[in-house]
Amino acid sequence: MYISINWIKDFVDLDGIDIENLIYNFTMSTAEVESITKYGYDTSNVVVGRIESISSIDNSDKLRKVIVDIKDEKVQSICGAKNIKIGDKIPFAKCGSKVKGIQIQKSILNGIESNGVCLSEKELGIGLDHSGVMILDNNLEIGKDIKEIIPLEDIVFEVDNKSLTNRPDLWGHYGIAREIAAITKRELKPLEVENLDKYTSLPKLDISVENKDECYRYTGITVENISKTVSPYKMKVRLFYTGSRSINLLADITNYIMLELGQPMHAFDKRYVDGIEVKALTSNSDFITLDNVTRQLPKGTLMIRNKKEPIAIAGIMGGLNSSITKDTNSLFLESATFDSTLIRKTALKIAHRTDASARYEKALDPELARLATARFIKILKDNDSNVKVTSCFTDIYLKKYPKITINTTKEFFDKYIGIDIDINTIIQTLTNLKFTVKRDNNNLEVEVPSFRATKDISNKADLVEEVARIYGYDNIEPKSNYWKVEPLKDDEDRKLEYDIKEMLALKYGLSEIHSYVWYSEEKNKSLNINVNDNLKIVNGLNKADSTLRENMAPTMLYYINDNLKYLPDCNIFEIGRTFKYNFDNKNCIENKVLAIGLSSIKGDIKDLLYKAKSIVESIFYVYKNVNVKYIQTDLTSKYSWTNKVNSYVLKVDDTTLGYIAQIHPRITDNINKKSNIVVIELLVDKLNNIKKKNITYNKVTKYQTVDFDLSILVDENIKFEDIENIITKLNLPYLLEYTLIDIYHDKNKFLDKKSVTIRFNIGSYDKTLLKDEIDKHMNSLINAFKRSGMDINM
Amino acid sequence: MEDKIKNLKENANRILNEITSTQELEKLRVEYLGKKGEIVELLKGLKDIDKEKRKKIGESANKLRDYINEKIEKKKIELKEKEYELKINSTKHVDLTVPININVGSLHPITIVQKELEDIFTSMGFTVEDGNEVETEYNNFEAVNVPKFHPARDMQDTFWLENGQLLKTQTSAAQNKIMRKYGAPLKAIFPGRCFRNEALDASHENTFFQMEGMMIDENVSISNLIYFMKSLLSEIFKKDVTVRLRPGFFPFVEPGFELDIKCPYCDGVGCKVCKHGGWIELCPCGMIHPNVLKMGEIDPNKYSGFAFGLGLSRLAMMKFGIDDLRLLNGGNLKVLKQMRIK
Repeated sequence: MYISINWIKDFVDLDGIDIENLIYNFTMSTAEVESITKYGYDTSNVVVGRIESISSIDNSDKLRKVIVDIKDEKVQSICGAKNIKIGDKIPFAKCGSKVKGIQIQKSILNGIESNGVCLSEKELGIGLDHSGVMILDNNLEIGKDIKEIIPLEDIVFEVDNKSLTNRPDLWGHYGIAREIAAITKRELKPLEVENLDKYTSLPKLDISVENKDECYRYTGITVENISKTVSPYKMKVRLFYTGSRSINLLADITNYIMLELGQPMHAFDKRYVDGIEVKALTSNSDFITLDNVTRQLPKGTLMIRNKKEPIAIAGIMGGLNSSITKDTNSLFLESATFDSTLIRKTALKIAHRTDASARYEKALDPELARLATARFIKILKDNDSNVKVTSCFTDIYLKKYPKITINTTKEFFDKYIGIDIDINTIIQTLTNLKFTVKRDNNNLEVEVPSFRATKDISNKADLVEEVARIYGYDNIEPKSNYWKVEPLKDDEDRKLEYDIKEMLALKYGLSEIHSYVWYSEEKNKSLNINVNDNLKIVNGLNKADSTLRENMAPTMLYYINDNLKYLPDCNIFEIGRTFKYNFDNKNCIENKVLAIGLSSIKGDIKDLLYKAKSIVESIFYVYKNVNVKYIQTDLTSKYSWTNKVNSYVLKVDDTTLGYIAQIHPRITDNINKKSNIVVIELLVDKLNNIKKKNITYNKVTKYQTVDFDLSILVDENIKFEDIENIITKLNLPYLLEYTLIDIYHDKNKFLDKKSVTIRFNIGSYDKTLLKDEIDKHMNSLINAFKRSGMDINM
Repeated sequence: MEDKIKNLKENANRILNEITSTQELEKLRVEYLGKKGEIVELLKGLKDIDKEKRKKIGESANKLRDYINEKIEKKKIELKEKEYELKINSTKHVDLTVPININVGSLHPITIVQKELEDIFTSMGFTVEDGNEVETEYNNFEAVNVPKFHPARDMQDTFWLENGQLLKTQTSAAQNKIMRKYGAPLKAIFPGRCFRNEALDASHENTFFQMEGMMIDENVSISNLIYFMKSLLSEIFKKDVTVRLRPGFFPFVEPGFELDIKCPYCDGVGCKVCKHGGWIELCPCGMIHPNVLKMGEIDPNKYSGFAFGLGLSRLAMMKFGIDDLRLLNGGNLKVLKQMRIK
């Protein structure tokens, strides 16, 4: 919202106050100021001129030569505007004057000298009209400085609307002035208003409200014999500087009062108002608002109706049918208070938010309705002295906010702020902000003014804010509290996450990324990733990115795809969330998942899978001291992105923790035909739940042990695990250890077999073994392998 | 005999001078000092000599043995040194100015900053809590004093889900749960991913990280809040920072503040980071609203507390001089690899 300092000066004397400093203090005590704009200070020596003559010039259809009388001289100017005629008074910028920072100089147009410029509203900086030269009132004195007629100079600051969300009272200049008065400790001048009591004897208007819960107050008054249509310069400029624009006198005054008091008002052409009924629509209907837009209104929308039809959407915008036109000479003035929630809902529903609805939804003080009307009549009469009020102020006041009185103490202020604050400071500050304070020693009974009592202030803490912010947060001395000191329980799970992250980065050279928690439809399509239907965002900016991820693998693949465009390999990880939606009961289960993506353009798939396994082993071995089982499983039906040949489910005991899988060629081919990609997804919560196994020391034998190697010839499809099973089943008493030395493939030598060399370490904790005992072990191994159809390659 | 000793000595010296390898040296040792060596042979011959002479020559022979022994040891060292020198001269030189790949990965800037902050907070006795990303409307809004159709909801464009839940717009969504879980007194921080339905640009992201903290105890005051925030931020920026509070509206606090710090990069003179304003708007905070305490089952008459939010994404950008918020979720390893670990 824009605030004009000139306007504020109507209500607070700012003489001797540095304005920039004042605006800074406003930020520090009330609400954030986003910008400050100075208007008119870079315009000088523009004067009132009178058009003396107009003549056409050679070789131009557009330009004309005009002579302008500016009292001391008659100046020749070349002008393109069509709207001027002899005798018109216009703002004229002669040579040497300045207009919005631009120095006006002599120029030659079509060979003719031009010694100044006739200005449009836009050029003068007080409006958007650039269709022609601004025509001034004819009674103005020629040669007079324009600044004596139009208040060009002003400082306007913009307050962040968000920081006014809770302050309906600050949505107008008078409310801001009240704050500034409290900040500067100066007096707030009363508003000049008409005494409405004068009209009590006039006829009452026919107003009825059907939806009594949604309309707090509806008031009306009628005025006739209106003859003026154009607003005074001061009003026009203020409206323009604060982001509005001038339409006609009646509409301008309603806008002016909204910007001054925060109270939206609506002026209906009285000819269309034979009575007022506030009533919700009983069916969906179309309605043309005064901006000439046909809006589809749903059933239940609260409307203002005459006897025949709707004439306005309550609290949002008037209708075209009843709006003020050029020939309007009588008006019905609405000043009403509607329910804040209702207005907010309606504005959202019909997607039309207006300055009025923005104010109503903040919960306006219904007391304002009468004040605004009184102010309107005063301003209208000041500008159009012949007008006649023809009704009494008809007031349907249905709902009032309860009066709020808060009992508090000086001690509470002290405790909450943390300093010893003078009780007189408390009382004075609250009084300046128009609270009524009664004191009994250190006890205070504070009555909240109606304009702060709608939603904003309701408890003792609210009062602390009022006092502390005006007192100045900078003036509060920072002090430590005496906190209780207790040792903190070690957060093992959180530590584990950081440890794993560091290990992945340090030991395996992986980089941590952050991804989005939804799938990208476009990327799934281009990479050929099929995903299950899942919980969706309903109002995202991009509908294609609305499905929440059930797995991290797809989002990992997006990043691998991006990086492999310019890197030979990409090894990344993330701990993120996945979401499993149950469409039947609408529950969403959230899981924390560690996802790892390993990829390489040149590398071998075996290396990638071994690296993946090494990572998994490191995590479980180092941090949990447990063994992981790798169970080859076709996961394609569950995770379409996996290649079933190299897909392993990871288990510890009977708990499934995730999987390691090579990525399906359908996807890798789309990323890079030469690429190999492996992903791991691990459920972090399940990992955390695994109990850490204690490490117990295994004795090392003092006696000599013997190593021997066996090369076992097995079918290519035999897993190492199968060989291990044979060895462990034997339960050999002196087998201390066995280690895989090598797996050797040689098509010529072994055909479809491979040679697996294992080193066996034989020994005892009690003695040195005899050759017999060792041979016995070797033979049982050899025989066991042979029984399983495995030859020993000697 | 004496001549023989003299000859032996001369011969040994001559040979020693000519020796170039340890093998030759060993040969010499065996020849002279071995069990059947010259010296032993010489001593054997002593039995034929008369007693007096025998003693004298015996002494000379022993002297000779010690002499040769000593010479051999000296030569040994000399030869070793020569060998080393040879090895040194033939050592392969490795150029360490050649760049190498250390194959170290990287942590995400958010993780780095988050860990730093968590360490500071845990050192001050704060518990760290995780929140959900999919939240209920109640936890995200109602429980933090933002009822349905409250205009404050406009401050945060929300991603709504088809089941009526939402992607949390603020870490405050965890406040209620944490208060119920721990009760008062309470010191907790809760970092997390937040979401806003916004179009992306250099300073707007729909997915970003916040860290929120709460401290609830008896007699907690605004003055405590200022003191705490000042100490905390000085720790974060590793220098004494100046803070200022101004009014800010957040429905879950009363009073609510915007906390600015005097730009720690230019000491308030004005620079790129503070957009030449000298101050950086860093963290919304305030005294926890009595209603919020009540909803969290904490008695507002007995306890008071403050809450604050820190923009982790923002701090990470400041720390690493990142000027485009989108880089954080961009996943470009050329960018992320620069962050390394610490």
